Amino acid sequence: MDRQSGLAIDAAPAWDRPLVTVPAFLLLAAIGGFFPSFSVGASLYVLVLGGAMTWLGLSGRMPKRPSPTRLPRAATWWLIPAGILVSFELTNFVLGSTYPHPTMSVLTDPALDHYSVRAVAYFAWLGGFWGLVRR
Amino acid sequence: MSVTRVITFTGFATAVLLGIGVEMLSRRDRSKIPSLAAMCGFVMQYRAGRMPVGRIAVYGFWWWLAYHFFAR
Repeated sequence: MDRQSGLAIDAAPAWDRPLVTVPAFLLLAAIGGFFPSFSVGASLYVLVLGGAMTWLGLSGRMPKRPSPTRLPRAATWWLIPAGILVSFELTNFVLGSTYPHPTMSVLTDPALDHYSVRAVAYFAWLGGFWGLVRR
Repeated sequence: MSVTRVITFTGFATAVLLGIGVEMLSRRDRSKIPSLAAMCGFVMQYRAGRMPVGRIAVYGFWWWLAYHFFAR
């Protein structure tokens, strides 16, 4: 538990179990898949879900898993994939984010137009956010 | 499909595959490489006074990611 942050509590809420959270995230992702890009509904939905997750993470209502207080030198391995990703993204962004020079969002937009892909992506995003809330 | 698009796609795919590879290495027994979750946890511990700056930054980035890919 992350006692240093002062955000941790000792006991998890009764509903904080995979048996509850996974079906809840599946339902939320299934709903999110219906909102197309550039719609007010999608903006509001992301705003509400992100706001709720952020509130849970900052309020100190959730128990936190322990995190390292120092990073070992081997953590620099992460700079390789991160560096490649950021350099390609920035280069293509500077070049206009066009068809011949696509950023990640331009590349993923056609796939995210499909309901199933969009719903799966929502589920992954919610799962990732939940992992961050619990850290 | 243009050559630059193929190069870009290859670059992104390489970065993602390398990321998966580093994560797998971090999960081995006695690995010195921290997992991505541990890296995020470390960043989120950063505070400026009583303000959890690291946590706000990581949550903000993750929130923006959804807005960028799902809503904008």
